[in-house]
Amino acid sequence: MRGARISRWLIAVPMALLALATIYPLVFTGNAAMKTRRDYILDRFAFADTLRWDNIATAWTTAGTARYFANSVIVVAGAVAMLLLLGSMAGFALSHLRFRGSRALFLGCLAALFVPFQVIMVPLVRTMADTGLVDTYPGLILAYTAQYLPFTIYLMASYYSAIPTEITDAARIDGNTTYGVYRRIMLPMGRPALLSVGVLNALFCWNDVLIALLMMPSAEHRTLMVGVTSLRGQYSADIPTFASGVLIAAVPVLAVYLFFQRRIADAVTAGSTKG
Amino acid sequence: MPLGDFTPLLARPARAGRADGTATASRRRRQTGGLSAERLSPFVLIAPAVLVIVLFRLWPLLLGVNFSFTGDGERNGAAVGLDNYAELFADPLFLGALRNVGWLVLLLPVAVAIPGTLATFIYLRVPGHRFYRSVYFFPAVLSPVIVGSIFNLLLSFDGPVNSLLEVVGLGPVDWLGDSDVALFTVLGVHIWATFGMALVVFLSGFATLDPALLDAARSDGATLPQVIRHVIIPGLSRTIQFVFVTTMIGMLTSMFGLIYVMTSGGPGGSTYLPEYYIWIQQGQMNRPAFASAASTVLFLVMLVVGLAQVSFLRRTGKED
Repeated sequence: MRGARISRWLIAVPMALLALATIYPLVFTGNAAMKTRRDYILDRFAFADTLRWDNIATAWTTAGTARYFANSVIVVAGAVAMLLLLGSMAGFALSHLRFRGSRALFLGCLAALFVPFQVIMVPLVRTMADTGLVDTYPGLILAYTAQYLPFTIYLMASYYSAIPTEITDAARIDGNTTYGVYRRIMLPMGRPALLSVGVLNALFCWNDVLIALLMMPSAEHRTLMVGVTSLRGQYSADIPTFASGVLIAAVPVLAVYLFFQRRIADAVTAGSTKG
Repeated sequence: MPLGDFTPLLARPARAGRADGTATASRRRRQTGGLSAERLSPFVLIAPAVLVIVLFRLWPLLLGVNFSFTGDGERNGAAVGLDNYAELFADPLFLGALRNVGWLVLLLPVAVAIPGTLATFIYLRVPGHRFYRSVYFFPAVLSPVIVGSIFNLLLSFDGPVNSLLEVVGLGPVDWLGDSDVALFTVLGVHIWATFGMALVVFLSGFATLDPALLDAARSDGATLPQVIRHVIIPGLSRTIQFVFVTTMIGMLTSMFGLIYVMTSGGPGGSTYLPEYYIWIQQGQMNRPAFASAASTVLFLVMLVVGLAQVSFLRRTGKED
């Protein structure tokens, strides 16, 4: 018993070190953002003596992060709204309505889940260019919607399939059409799943760089992640300003993580343990 | 397969005649009133999603395969047969990218064993397990761009990691500038950034494990390695299989951001992966048809690796 307790502590030490290694890189970056260039060059590790916001301000205004940030917010909001609307409608239809070809559609949706973006990106960009959608907000929003929709439908359908048909039958007897059932039953009851899926999709879209790089070639339409990669070349000699840009991009994610940690983990693991 | 959950639902017979007379009558009146609208409703609900998926995901797949047999530039649109594929397999950069995929496959067990071991400890309630769970998962929500940028600072030649190494008397390592080291550096950072994801998947697998089995093994005096070998691994075979496949897919499809930020494929093309090669051909070289051929090869590689893994893991699972 005593031996077991000691061995548990022996395991806890490397695990604590690993936890430190997980958090420290971000702490280092935040600390670098608070230093003057001179302080950073003299000693990278020492903690900044005061909270200095000049670098953040430079990154936000001079380096143009504000613009990139706004672009990201527009695109993420649009894509998440589209994903939740289309995903919940399709998820409801696939889990509760009987119609010809529903099985085939569900299988097609699953198949799309396994087509990685890299495989379709070349023809996709060409299709987008042909329809004049490249370098526009709707174009990038559509690209994200297409990318994360199969996963969203899958999660919504599996959540909705747990809602018993007695409830939808009762709503129909009360005179609701299928659309009424969707609006009055499925949307309100699906709120927890919509929230989880929405948060996860927001993270995916916010964090993406490859799709944004392909779909938004002009500098004024850069999303925040693409903007951060361009800061690196611009501020290679001014690490504190570069670190500030990285921090600006990371803080919203950090905030979302602290609020929705459990939901994110649950949504990620949904479907992994089902036989 | 997750599909199993849906089969009964989709096949469930419609319930008819459950309501009493008046309700059925009013329902019938309503239905005849808006019969076509109500009959079409499933299609109306699903049509936008189907349209988006077909137009922007499935159609491009077909288009891309077709595209890969045509030419670029002067030969734009002309059928060139297998020329693109021949050129692809003669390009040392692409062959290097495939060799790097080979390295990833070889190191895959490491990338699965790390979160698996940590999840086991967390499941066995190491002191502070709740804290570790949320801390370890955190990098998984960060963008590869953020992770890559941070590690660019940490791993630069005159950077903090090397100055730490100097303190303990180890020579500086050119983490990102040495062509023998850079791929493993980027892979290491990828594992740092994603092990939390596999960890929570493992933990959700543990939640389905029967605790009575563990207690029985413990009271029989089994050591920790024995418990892992004879209780945990067989009990989690499906989860392990899932983590293997998703980790491999992650390595092949979500390292673009890290490579783009940390090495740009260098030094000397040593950190190219197929996805980065496709992007260079499409975005930089403006050779979409050639890039499509590379995409098709990547798709086939993923298919083969995925199927090989599943069948390999099935076989080892049966031997147990």
